[in-house]
Amino acid sequence: MHEISLVRNIFRTLKEEFPDDFGQIRDIYLTVGILSNVQPIAMENAFQAVLEDEPGYRNKNLKVEVLPILIHCHYCDKNSLVEQYRFICSYCGKPGKDVIQGEELLIKKVEFED
Amino acid sequence: MEAIKPKSNRAAVGSLQCDNTTFNLLKVNDFVAKAIRDRLPEVLVVNLCSSPGSGKTTLLQETGKRLKGKINMAVLVGDPETERDAIRMRDVGIHALQIVTGGMCHIEAQMIYQALDHFDLDGVDLLVIENVGNLVCPAAFDLGEDFRVTVLSATEGDDKPKKYPRMFLTSELMLVSKSDLLPYVPFSVEAATLDARDINADIEVITVSSLNGEGLDQWCDWLIERVSEKKSKFQEA
Repeated sequence: MHEISLVRNIFRTLKEEFPDDFGQIRDIYLTVGILSNVQPIAMENAFQAVLEDEPGYRNKNLKVEVLPILIHCHYCDKNSLVEQYRFICSYCGKPGKDVIQGEELLIKKVEFED
Repeated sequence: MEAIKPKSNRAAVGSLQCDNTTFNLLKVNDFVAKAIRDRLPEVLVVNLCSSPGSGKTTLLQETGKRLKGKINMAVLVGDPETERDAIRMRDVGIHALQIVTGGMCHIEAQMIYQALDHFDLDGVDLLVIENVGNLVCPAAFDLGEDFRVTVLSATEGDDKPKKYPRMFLTSELMLVSKSDLLPYVPFSVEAATLDARDINADIEVITVSSLNGEGLDQWCDWLIERVSEKKSKFQEA
């Protein structure tokens, strides 16, 4: 995907949310669903590249967690894991595309330096 | 969204944790996409996606010719560089504006919103956004469209739906294009349809050829029906 622009978005978002404490941010935890097409390694490399480019961003770490796809079935009211991109309820076998997890592109948590 | 800010900068040595922040990195895009929907309550917006070279522009040229006198179509076309596609649209009398993304692999909602300021949509029933040729990134960006249509050409291979699942998951219609080449290439419309419906059971499929005209009337009827649905929804509201 377009990892560099995503990394810049992370910094822009954090600067907006924490205008006073941005400099103290140390660890950034990102949650990405499989459907976001974000590769953790590519994301971490892009993050390092942006850090080197922007001296003000040094000493920050990025941790990326990948979430599998979950769909909710309206027929049996259960959630099931999507494997091999088969969007089918694993309990009743009916197709479903009500994705309840897997599209995330979220900053889940940030930790600040004292 | 309420962020939990660090309560004190006098905490013990170590770190302060800020939990459940969950800032969506696409929140700006999604906000602008909603603004586009609010701005165009009467115009049907279709986001046309595909790989490069699948025949989107040729398809829209043929579509424009067939819709003439029935509904009014306008096209916003995105490419990393050049204005060639908008020129091709205008050559056949389609009202079109080019969005040059400057190397970017997808169109973002902000680009559409800005383009709307320079694009007269008076009397337009259907706005087609011809996205940058790419089956990955455009899938993540809502452009305020009513429908997403993905073109898959016969020469690309029938394995694409499973390789690029998010695009087919988020599309309402798949157009299998260049059907005039089907006798010459190992592409099974049935296999592509099965794979696409494995991902998205509701996806509609129309097989089209811009060269010999196959399926174009069905595609145009699909557009005309969606336009009239949108207009009656607007009139009810």
